[in-house]
Amino acid sequence: MKYELVAGFETHIELATKTKIFCSCTTEFGGEPNTHCCPVCIGLPGTLPKLNRQVVNFAVKAGLATHCEIAEVAKMDRKNYCYPDLPKAYQISQYDMPLCLNGYVELSNGRKIRLERIHIEEDAGKLIHSHGDTYVDYNRGGVPLIEIVSKPDIRSVDEAKEYVEKLQQVMRYIGISDCKMQEGSMRCDVNISVREAGSEELGTRTEIKNMNSITNIAKAMEYEFERQCDVLESGEKVVQETLRYDDATNSTYPMRSKEDAHDYRYFRDPDLVTINVSREQVEEIKKSLPELPADKCKRYIDELEIPEKDAQLLTKYRNISEYFDEAIKGVKSPKTVSNFIIGQIFSRLETESDKEEFNIKTTPKQLNDLVKLLDEGKIRNNLAKSTLEKMLDEGKNATDYISESDMGGLDENALADLCKQAVEANPKAVEDYKSGKEKAIKAMVGFVMKNSRGRADAALAEQKIKDLIK
Amino acid sequence: MGTIAKIHEMLETKQISCEELTSLYLKEIDNANKELNAYVTITPEQALETAKIVDKKIASGKEIGILEGVPMTLKDNLSTKGIETTCCSKILKGYTPIYDATVWDNLKSQNAVLLGKTNMDEFAMGSSCETSCFGGATNPHNTNHCSGGSSGGVASAVGGNIAAYGLGSDTGGSIRQPASFCGIVGLKPTYGAVSRYGLIAYASSLDQIGPITKTVEDASIVYDAISQYDSKDSTSQGNKGVKTFDTLNNDIKGMKIGIPKEYYEGVRDDVKEAIFATLKSFEDLGAEIVHIELPAVKYALPVYYIIACAEASSNLGRYDGIRYGYKTAHYNGTHDMICRTRSEGFGEEVKRRILLGTYVLSAGYYDAYYKKAQKLRGTIITAFNKAFESCDVILAPTVPMTAFEMGHAVSDPIETYLTDICTVPVNIAGLPGVSVPCGFNAKGMPIGMQFIGKKFGEAEILNVAYKYQQNAGQNFKDTKWGVKL
Amino acid sequence: MVTREDVENIALLSKLFVPEEELDALTKDMQEIIDFADTINNAVESGDDFDNINNLSNVLREDEVVESLPSEEILKNAPEQAEQHFLVRNRE
Repeated sequence: MKYELVAGFETHIELATKTKIFCSCTTEFGGEPNTHCCPVCIGLPGTLPKLNRQVVNFAVKAGLATHCEIAEVAKMDRKNYCYPDLPKAYQISQYDMPLCLNGYVELSNGRKIRLERIHIEEDAGKLIHSHGDTYVDYNRGGVPLIEIVSKPDIRSVDEAKEYVEKLQQVMRYIGISDCKMQEGSMRCDVNISVREAGSEELGTRTEIKNMNSITNIAKAMEYEFERQCDVLESGEKVVQETLRYDDATNSTYPMRSKEDAHDYRYFRDPDLVTINVSREQVEEIKKSLPELPADKCKRYIDELEIPEKDAQLLTKYRNISEYFDEAIKGVKSPKTVSNFIIGQIFSRLETESDKEEFNIKTTPKQLNDLVKLLDEGKIRNNLAKSTLEKMLDEGKNATDYISESDMGGLDENALADLCKQAVEANPKAVEDYKSGKEKAIKAMVGFVMKNSRGRADAALAEQKIKDLIK
Repeated sequence: MGTIAKIHEMLETKQISCEELTSLYLKEIDNANKELNAYVTITPEQALETAKIVDKKIASGKEIGILEGVPMTLKDNLSTKGIETTCCSKILKGYTPIYDATVWDNLKSQNAVLLGKTNMDEFAMGSSCETSCFGGATNPHNTNHCSGGSSGGVASAVGGNIAAYGLGSDTGGSIRQPASFCGIVGLKPTYGAVSRYGLIAYASSLDQIGPITKTVEDASIVYDAISQYDSKDSTSQGNKGVKTFDTLNNDIKGMKIGIPKEYYEGVRDDVKEAIFATLKSFEDLGAEIVHIELPAVKYALPVYYIIACAEASSNLGRYDGIRYGYKTAHYNGTHDMICRTRSEGFGEEVKRRILLGTYVLSAGYYDAYYKKAQKLRGTIITAFNKAFESCDVILAPTVPMTAFEMGHAVSDPIETYLTDICTVPVNIAGLPGVSVPCGFNAKGMPIGMQFIGKKFGEAEILNVAYKYQQNAGQNFKDTKWGVKL
Repeated sequence: MVTREDVENIALLSKLFVPEEELDALTKDMQEIIDFADTINNAVESGDDFDNINNLSNVLREDEVVESLPSEEILKNAPEQAEQHFLVRNRE
């Protein structure tokens, strides 16, 4: 039987605010244990939470960037469960009135992965288990998170990977999170089920918790898909359970749950008040958003005539696209700029994170100047390429390498002179040409180019030489 | 009588130094506390240190504030930096907060002299102070009787003259009820008027801090001092610029005092009679007595217990033996440690309320109990708003009875819950209420009545209560205990 | 009806141990309190929903860092600690 994979994601993203969600402690990653803490974020008796304005703004940004509706009225709820990393024994989260609802993320195959909601909540502290002892560090406790809940719209591992990458890309673009999975600032829970291909019904799902790399997500999903198919093939039923993926053995295991009878007993947090998001505020935040990668990509293709593949490379990271946008200002052919970036510049950036940082010596203005020299016909392509190499090495301006005398076309007389010299210096080529070897002309054009240090217009020179020989 | 006003005058006119005064209180605490059991922690060093600062200030000819140098106490659920704060629970024994509650921060900066922390029902859950892990505080009018609860220690201390005033907290009557039982004044402010930051939560949407004092005038002084907006408490609003002291002696001519008949059902005769006997004095002052209806309050008690316990079950989840407080000695793994710590650390009443709260929030019961109670809360608020269309303040009994004998309250939970019937509606609706003594029963136990005001209507209820107290001074009888000034 | 199983379940959720011999008495107690709470079942609501008590909204803090407390203060009341962490030592 042919089976189809059905997956939905719950993605936690740490927001890049300066302070925690309910107190003024820093959100900085790392730090000595229990040094980013105060009475509020370790839940001392009598302390009260106070919501960080920026958390609401960032969540609204995330919602707008993923085509969500922004709620006019939202509230905070308590999710009650007892665990040593949760100092109040409840997590302040949003239950039935989240900030953002009904969005989507569009994949390159045109499918839209629908988002059910985006809500804000606090992160828990960190537990270190050592020889059975449990060490607790609350530095991360109270760091703001958004949780993005998708519908079960994902149909393949590739779609899952792209979905996560797209989320990462857009959240980084709008500057609300660095989405570093290895540092835990982005974590995914994957709900996965299988069904007969073509069926409309959903199968029983399992949930793989806390995935912290795209590679692992892919491997875990592949494993779990196979496992569930095998279960169904053997005529048994998939058990709804929560799983942990083990990288070392590449397999999933049920998380032990003897102690957590899960009933979160959500209720409105009486220590916090209603959140109203005015439509004016939404408009203001909308205006503050940068052009989103999907829109940028489309614009590059439609308006700048950049090939789709190149447009995707240019928009993958915000730094690159912003560089590109700066560098094409006033140039005749954005494609030329794109070629320089994807060709010469990319060849110097080895890793993805190098590309993301896009830390190069040449400023967009410097590249822009270089391309304009080309546009104006002052220099030729070969010279531009070699010059860019030097610029990227040393960070200087194009004009530091190209002297005045290298620039500008030759005037009429100088070109005529050079062409005459070329004919005189190459009698053999003249003979050959006259006897029908058209290619022989190239040698004479080459002479002109060489002696003009690339300034001559090759096509014009060729015409002139032909006229002379006739 | 050792009122704030009197002490302030004595300090200002140098009839007594603050150090002498403080020592006098500390000595009387030594004498009386064995029987009253009002204090659970005494802080003589800190008190005398502050007293010396105040004396220096007076000696240098500087003016002192009204609360400066006045010896006082705090209920043991108010967080005090460096001073043990236990909520009178085994689970918090030894806990020394690293921060001050906003109210204490505020009073400390005014050089209030803190004598110590006072007894209470464990986590403020009780009506007799007897669920305290230190045993209950007794009633200074008769130590065979309880002080009331949950702020029993403050009421016992103030009634017993071993503190000039104190701050308590009121979730379902915990300021007004013990004040009534001990024959003194207790004000539960409008929800949001006084910052809750540093008040160890019982039920967050109901809790308010307020003063327990000997007189209405003192209650006004303390309320004005502590009702300030606090950015640390999202629900804080302060007193909105109203100083109740300025209008304390205003004429109450034409004021409409509403008598809601539902409040008097099931109230003991001696209590009812004492309150009705006061009505003439209001009419003498030109106020008008109007009879009103408040049928919705009959649901107030179950609504209160559902909401309070639900919030408590969540608020008390944090006591797990990891960050502070009691931790069990023997256990097998983290889960076992937490369960043992909580089972050993919490008393029976607290456990009962945690279980009830968990029940009403759990899947399958949430709608029938918690959600329904929240809706009825809205209904009760609307009913009060409607009642206030036909009157300015409401007059009701504070408690349907007088202080019960020690040991009586703990026997039957439901019967004990019923003692809160007159006090809880105010908490549910977030209104201010002040209890004032209005007489004694045949056994000489004090009877109290409460004025209930509109939201942020503290000035009105304190005004009418003050006028009453000025006209009926005979209803105050001091106890044999403590400092006599 | 409050059952023994209900009580066991809510005790687990509440992280409380109820000794077997107290279970029946506690179930009876709970039943009594729930019966009392049930008096609201037939109460007529006015339809005025309860939001938050003073209908406040948007009480927010600016995103400005205030220095945290030293870890010694944070750990001051910990029943057990090690290496600047709160500690649950494994006894078995």
